Amino acid sequence: MEKFDVAIIGGGSAGLAALKQLSNLGKQAILIEGGKKIGTKNVSGGLLYSKNTTIGKVYNVEDVYDNFLTDAPVERQITKYMLHATSKDKMFSLDLTPTHNYQTNFGYSVLLNKLLPWFAKEALNSAEKTGGGIVTGIHVRSIMWKDENTIIIETDELEPFQVKAVIAADGVNSEVAQITGARRKFTQSDLYQGVKVVVKLPEEIIEERFEITNNEGAAHLFAGDVTLNHIGGGFLYTNKDTLSVGAVYHYDSLIEKPTEPYELVNALLSNPFVIELIKDEVPETKENYKNLSKEEELRTRFKANKLIKDWKELHHTYYSPSGVKELLANGKYKTKEEIKNKVDSIHDELVSKYDIEFESNYVELEYSAKLVPDGKRCRMKKPYFKNILFIGDAAGRGIFVGPRIEGLNVGIDDAVRAAEAVSNAIDKNSFHSNILGERYRRLVEESPYTKDMDEIDKNYLKVFLDCTKQVPNDIVDYRYRAIFKLMSNSTFRGISVGLVNKLGYRRLLPILESNKTYTEVPIKIAERKGKDVQKSYSIRIPAIAERIAKLNYNDDSLSHIKVLDSQSDFMKKMVTLCPTKCYSMENGRVILQHEGCIECGTCLKETEWRHPRGEKGIAYQYG
Amino acid sequence: MLNPSGTLNVAVIVKLEPDFSEGNVSYNSDGTLNRAETKNVLGPHSAVASSAALYAKVKYGANVSVATMGPPIAEAALQQSQLICNADELHLYSDRIFAGADTLATSEVLRAGIKKMANEQGIDIVFSGHRASDGETGQTGPQTAWKLGYPFIGNVIDYDIDKERGYVRLQRLIKNYGHNDIIEELESPLPVFITLDPSYSPFFNTVSQRLNLALNQNDAEKRSSRYKEYLKTFSAQSLELNLKSVGLPGSPTIVYKVEKIPRAKANRKADIIDGYSQENLSQVARRIYGILGETIIK
Repeated sequence: MEKFDVAIIGGGSAGLAALKQLSNLGKQAILIEGGKKIGTKNVSGGLLYSKNTTIGKVYNVEDVYDNFLTDAPVERQITKYMLHATSKDKMFSLDLTPTHNYQTNFGYSVLLNKLLPWFAKEALNSAEKTGGGIVTGIHVRSIMWKDENTIIIETDELEPFQVKAVIAADGVNSEVAQITGARRKFTQSDLYQGVKVVVKLPEEIIEERFEITNNEGAAHLFAGDVTLNHIGGGFLYTNKDTLSVGAVYHYDSLIEKPTEPYELVNALLSNPFVIELIKDEVPETKENYKNLSKEEELRTRFKANKLIKDWKELHHTYYSPSGVKELLANGKYKTKEEIKNKVDSIHDELVSKYDIEFESNYVELEYSAKLVPDGKRCRMKKPYFKNILFIGDAAGRGIFVGPRIEGLNVGIDDAVRAAEAVSNAIDKNSFHSNILGERYRRLVEESPYTKDMDEIDKNYLKVFLDCTKQVPNDIVDYRYRAIFKLMSNSTFRGISVGLVNKLGYRRLLPILESNKTYTEVPIKIAERKGKDVQKSYSIRIPAIAERIAKLNYNDDSLSHIKVLDSQSDFMKKMVTLCPTKCYSMENGRVILQHEGCIECGTCLKETEWRHPRGEKGIAYQYG
Repeated sequence: MLNPSGTLNVAVIVKLEPDFSEGNVSYNSDGTLNRAETKNVLGPHSAVASSAALYAKVKYGANVSVATMGPPIAEAALQQSQLICNADELHLYSDRIFAGADTLATSEVLRAGIKKMANEQGIDIVFSGHRASDGETGQTGPQTAWKLGYPFIGNVIDYDIDKERGYVRLQRLIKNYGHNDIIEELESPLPVFITLDPSYSPFFNTVSQRLNLALNQNDAEKRSSRYKEYLKTFSAQSLELNLKSVGLPGSPTIVYKVEKIPRAKANRKADIIDGYSQENLSQVARRIYGILGETIIK
């Protein structure tokens, strides 16, 4: 049987950071990833932070990859951070940039399918020096212990192999946690469900519309009527030449009043303010070729489609400085003006010859979903099992504090700590929990991120409250009014936050995270103080079937999900809550069609849920 | 016994062929192939042979040389093969005198090339494709093996090497007693000449093989982008060939007539349906359901 020092299961941002870090420490580690390529199974809302905390050191992405700032394919550095309260065509905006900047070096918008392959390349370069590496398209099936220091890993694709320690980075639906029983399955109150669409928009149009320069980015958060009465909110982040638009809602609230996840993102997309932000010119076929003969009709349609494709590409390139530069360098066009003329001439040809109309709409590229663990409710207090360490989402470590949602940076911080613990254990050649697991637990406890999950940071609270000064006091409920008053005085704030943290921050959650804070109060604010927002066109949002049809799957004939009780209340709710409509009702029973599954894990609680076999299942292009 | 160097030495014979994949073929009005318009690529069977060499490289750390006979543009086949198998050397047998060769004359050039390799570094396995997609004879491989005096094994679907004993254990597909696709297992001493069954695809089933595979694929990309550094060209003279046994003079085959293949009679009638309209699509679905509906087990 082949032997390696460490196996890292899962090639997301946390797993790759662990590989990179262990290799930097001179240890041999292999990373096992289920997707055919790194990055195809990953989804993120889209912000990666680097922090500079006063209460202790966090390990940032640029500490792991020293050329991150110069070379990494990130999207935009967020310089504007806004919170909008919405009610129909009224909107009230708060500038939360100070909260975004709070103890922050930078926050980049990212698309994981672009960023993770770069992480992988960097990690692989280091790993190869120590005899490690990355193996993709492999699904881990079982984990066994030969003795205290030896773990045998069985996969669906390869011969079994043995390692001394495992770092489990297999995400929120961690199968390693399930098969070893290291932690309970996350329950609905532990989780948020996030649904995202990636929208295409030319680079310079983004910059003009969001009032940012080439190096800047904007983040917009939404609460109010766009939540459809759920606890959570919407977001819109600018990428280089795309936008990430999504909705993140507390699973409890979705179970209580089941709403189709895509309806939540649609509610955001059809908000009049958002409509104007995502607007683009889109060619629409009128299909008036009926007077032509059958063959002629097909030929015309083919030509028209080809021209539309050309127009879309060139229209997109025209607004991208780097794209224009490339076209000019190719020598195909001499001036930028010439490209514009070509775009216009194709445009005119389509309108005059092919009966195409150009309408205002938006261009959706990819629909995705994922569960997000709320660390303050579900972080693993003991993030290890024997000689397996859990990091990132697999350990339930996500930060949800008001508008602050972070996961990628937490996973990277965990990875560095896990790598240190494992490296130390290898040096001592002992993997007993006193040496490995407990040491890792202590390192994680020291992390400022852990503190963020357990306690309210009174300084952050002050920055937040300062941002919300324009909100009239009488809008909020008497309960909050008292809190507001208390909090605006620094001595009281210090004392009361201290008291709350002593009593347990979790007890306050039902008040802090309620329909009132996410829906009712924002609606009231928008109605009272909001500006009117006019929309200039009516949006056409693709149906869920169209969205699924655009996704890439490598179908597995074998279903990776098994329904345990097809008549349970929970499963019946899945008919509504599955983001890709995998469940339907037939004769009072819930039936599953797994082919459209995007592996979000929404149905995990009452199913036998495995990741698909290697290379199978969904393959995202943006992530 | 393995060759004296101790490293497994593998040669792959490939061929540059017209790209017959969909949408890439161009025909003259008389139905013959328009060679000028049709792009040339590494033949599909040559690609299979290259992947067998990749298996040897990943699993046994083999030293791989790819060889082809043809005009200078045949370099493209060597480059594409290198991208698959991360070849260490590329050999092009190119000489005006080789033009017009049939399979026998081609085999003579390949024999000389492989023999030269065998003399210089030792050769353990020669891989070639099942047949070429433009010639379709399947003769060149076996003839070259015969000329070299190596055991020839065709339609191979898997192999393993016993380095100690210098033997190769193979599985191949044969037809026997009226059954297709019988798997025959056999053993042969090295050196050996192997042609691969078109269904062959290497499988890497241990972690180290996968790691090695990734390393090789990475390397192959780098190498093939600078393939000229790995390229050696050989003329008839440098291969010490008898000029009467190569090219046109060495080719006993005379093609005096090529007949057009008549269009096959179809006994089905096709309706062309415009897939852009939702209504037409549901009509198609209804028709399929009409035909298959009864066979669906409810």
